[in-house]
Amino acid sequence: MGFIEVKNVSKTFRVSRRRSGIPGMLANLVAPKYEKREAVKDISFSIGQGEMVGFIGPNGAGKSTTIKMLSGILFPDSGEITCSGVIPYKQRKSYVGRIGVVFGQKSQLQWDLPVIDSFELLKAIYRIPDDVYKKNLVRFTEMLDMSGFIDQPVRQLSLGQRMRSDIAAALLHSPEIVFFDEPTIGVDVVGKEAIRTFIRELNAKDNVTMIFTTHDMQDIEKTCKRVIIIDKGSKVYDGSLSDIRERYSSSRSLEVEFMTDTETVPVAGVETEVIDARHKRFIFGKDVHINDLMSLLLQNYSVRDINISEPDIESIIRKIYGGEGAA
Amino acid sequence: MTAYTAYAKKVFLGRSAYRFDHLMSILSTVLQFFIFYEIYRALYGGEDKVDGITMSMVTTNFVLSLGLGTIFSPDDYFLPNKIWDGSISTELLRPISFKGRMIAENVGNSAFNIIFKFIPVLIIAVLTTGVQAPADAPHFLLFLISAVLGYGVLWTISFAVQMTAFWLVNIWSLITIKNVFVNVLSGSMIPLWFMPEWMQGVLDLTPFASIYFTPVQIYLGQLSYGGIAVKCAIQIVWTVLIYLIGDLLWRKGQRKLVVQGG
Repeated sequence: MGFIEVKNVSKTFRVSRRRSGIPGMLANLVAPKYEKREAVKDISFSIGQGEMVGFIGPNGAGKSTTIKMLSGILFPDSGEITCSGVIPYKQRKSYVGRIGVVFGQKSQLQWDLPVIDSFELLKAIYRIPDDVYKKNLVRFTEMLDMSGFIDQPVRQLSLGQRMRSDIAAALLHSPEIVFFDEPTIGVDVVGKEAIRTFIRELNAKDNVTMIFTTHDMQDIEKTCKRVIIIDKGSKVYDGSLSDIRERYSSSRSLEVEFMTDTETVPVAGVETEVIDARHKRFIFGKDVHINDLMSLLLQNYSVRDINISEPDIESIIRKIYGGEGAA
Repeated sequence: MTAYTAYAKKVFLGRSAYRFDHLMSILSTVLQFFIFYEIYRALYGGEDKVDGITMSMVTTNFVLSLGLGTIFSPDDYFLPNKIWDGSISTELLRPISFKGRMIAENVGNSAFNIIFKFIPVLIIAVLTTGVQAPADAPHFLLFLISAVLGYGVLWTISFAVQMTAFWLVNIWSLITIKNVFVNVLSGSMIPLWFMPEWMQGVLDLTPFASIYFTPVQIYLGQLSYGGIAVKCAIQIVWTVLIYLIGDLLWRKGQRKLVVQGG
């Protein structure tokens, strides 16, 4: 029995289908058309305490719906969810005090008030004891480098600053479980790195259970060991990040720069791609050993530089989204 | 400080941020009052009494019902707006009662309105048209109690109507219809004394008459103590009944909730 247990959960929305234009509008008034959209279809998984799980999938796959059911906002149509012994949507008020949620697209801070005032309001809402509040505030201000803007109104912050404030706001009450819904969206490279470092550290030191949705594969590679991939409402993969590579990467490549213009002899199982006279790319499957190929090249040719490229996770994910995920 | 007082305080302070809007809303209440006053003065045509109702009773009715109206002013769009823009999801993540928070923000708003809207309007009315004094001290006290109960009725009506936003999302028209009912049937536009007798009898039993007209009648000393008890009981029954309907919709609605915008 995991810390977070999701069993056969489904959720269907009724969406109205609008026909376009004025005739369409009139038609809608007389006879509105609805169709059912299954946002989440029979999903099950289990997450242990202190685990950090990446939750990925294309837009509209049902990630946010799942997060919202896990955080007690939405009721599932069928199936069961328990988080740390509680049914989120049934015991909402007592449950949400123990979790934190960061919605990258929606700020939870008070638009007109300085960041610190929003924090004070949260302190009252969550009844955070003075000492815990002070300790967390000092710690997060330092870790997220917020001292420069903590007394500025939220509307005057840059997106990166706002996101860091939002993350701190979601964690002030020391939650056991934290959901990050696209926490790095629209943030620059440096900001993203700061957020990832913070998340990693928090997970390692405080043993906080985290679920992380994102479209940025770098986020996942740098923070999560385990990923759950969902597509069109169903789970298509659940396992470690390295297993994805094993299972889905059909090819790796070796880029070689020679000292002089070189013609190479074809090697069995290896596809050769000519970039220019001195550059070649060798693409090969799992059956070819990289050591063999390299020694072959080094023995027979004068090589200046070799560059091995792992299949990048993004192209693998793209393949899974594309429907090759039935493995 | 509890979460609820924190919310009430936040609203109270937030209201003072937009001074021009605030001044204009005082002006609009004053204008509304004078328009009603002038219409009835023309209708009275110099007579002291019409059907036994004096002009000063009519004036007092308008001052009190418009005044209470500006104090109460529940935010009819509190939930609909949050459903419309999807921020309902953040609200539901707070470990507090959403209904409690609705009331807290409304109380903060009302406190602001009493001090900065009702009192200025009252002073203007007293200085220009004059307002009748309350019948006596006990009646004034009972008026205050009944006014709070009237607020309960008005708030629960707004609460129940807002809950339909879970299904309908845009409920501007429903809210407008509700407000027409409240304004016309509560006596804040046409004092209920001028309604035909059979209609007064019907209106007495609706929730609308108990919002403003019951407190006004108590203030003017028109009801016996027995009558006051009955009317206050009607207020309480309506508050409880409408609250229960609203609460049912609230619980059903959460299951139906669709968070807009991802």
